[in-house]
Amino acid sequence: MNIIETNHLTKKYKNFIAVDSVDLHIRKGNIYGFLGPNGAGKSTTMKMLLGLTAPSNGIFHINQKTFPADREEILRGIGSFIESPSFYGNLTGQENLEIIQSVLGLKKSSVKDALELVGLTDCKDRLAKKYSLGMKQRLGLASALLGNPPILILDEPTNGLDPAGIHEIRTLIKSLSEMYDCTILISSHMLSEIELMANDIGILNHGKLLFEGSLQGLQGYAEKKGFSSVHLENTFLAMIDEDNALRKRSAIK
Amino acid sequence: MLGLELKKLKRTGIIPAMLLVGILGALYALANFAVRKDTLLSLPVPPMVVLLTQLYAMIAVLNLFVIIVANCIIYNIEYQYDAAKKMASMPISIVKMYLFKFIIISVLLFFAMLIQNTALVYIGINELPPNSFDMRTLIIFASYSFVIALPVHAFMLLISSQTSNMWMTLGIGIAGFFSALATAMSNSPLCLLNPFVLIMKPGITSAELASSSPDRTVMIVSIVMAVIFLAAGAMGAKIKKYK
Repeated sequence: MNIIETNHLTKKYKNFIAVDSVDLHIRKGNIYGFLGPNGAGKSTTMKMLLGLTAPSNGIFHINQKTFPADREEILRGIGSFIESPSFYGNLTGQENLEIIQSVLGLKKSSVKDALELVGLTDCKDRLAKKYSLGMKQRLGLASALLGNPPILILDEPTNGLDPAGIHEIRTLIKSLSEMYDCTILISSHMLSEIELMANDIGILNHGKLLFEGSLQGLQGYAEKKGFSSVHLENTFLAMIDEDNALRKRSAIK
Repeated sequence: MLGLELKKLKRTGIIPAMLLVGILGALYALANFAVRKDTLLSLPVPPMVVLLTQLYAMIAVLNLFVIIVANCIIYNIEYQYDAAKKMASMPISIVKMYLFKFIIISVLLFFAMLIQNTALVYIGINELPPNSFDMRTLIIFASYSFVIALPVHAFMLLISSQTSNMWMTLGIGIAGFFSALATAMSNSPLCLLNPFVLIMKPGITSAELASSSPDRTVMIVSIVMAVIFLAAGAMGAKIKKYK
């Protein structure tokens, strides 16, 4: 069963198409790796799913509900982290999470749990604006994970983390999916990370969805197309290069 | 939601600043009356009019400045580290958030004015000639001065909510203040469309023409403008994309 589904989801900015008729099918309880080079439209797609920007065309369903009619109901079930951590600089890490806990009507203990989960317990009383980049990233993750939401939308969640932090977050994301049947849509530039985490993959280039399916499916697709299928990175780069070359050719014509 | 918005204000200095302006206004009134009592009471107007209008201009300037600053800060905390983006992806009403910010500053302004007017009550009882102090007149004038402060508050909140750069909001506030100084003396009804003029109106008039009775036109224009700015701000907050 697909918990998130988009139909011809499109975002246009004047003459520029950021997301071009994208059909995503994200299965419940799966980790969906959303890949693409910079400017491919990953963040814009995620923002549309959170109602942060309106689609120019197309629709999407989350848990069989639609925007904007079911906005609050949809957002109650989504933990999100988009592009960079968002927080109140004048509040401490703990106070920032308490704001979200209060909005979601969660137990007070959920704040402590989230701080522990991301390893911020020792710095919970420090002002968020004084956190290092990695700590801000962890705070952003904690705010997304608060109350174990059934859906997580994470845009580059490991940016700014050291290798140990990246490993920790990867383990955490995998365990969330396994323990709470949490559906995770995650974008990352670190293809090896996605390879280790995701069940399904979506590859976006210039707003177009080039591939959607399982990792095994991607391997099969790569072999059929004559791309290297040893590592996800090789397949990904070959697919992007081919698409870019096709675009160049059609632009010249 | 009110508790949530209050919690966000921690360490911003908005609450102490608003109360401090109340105290400063009260001290100014007490000090001014202590130093200039004879000059003020020799003006050709009733003592109650002197009490309410001759101290008003400076107090209004203080109130205007704190309204500008508080409105700048209340949305700056949302924009500075992208908290607004997080809030927009949460299951809360952005319109309610906007309205509660308006209510919080309005209530703080009410308390600041309460402190200032308490000082006026003290002066009225202790410094005005016997039987010249009228509590009812003071309450009516204080309520009037609160209502005419609301349009500039609603306007500044509207600007602040739409502008992520706090310095731009502050600049508009300062420009508005100077525009009020330049045009408040004018009798043109068009000047009443400037929310910064409305708050200054009772203070910018010659002693002979000063009155402790609310100006009905100023009052109606203030209410209408406050409602329009508030509605426009709430709609703007709903439409705005916090990307």
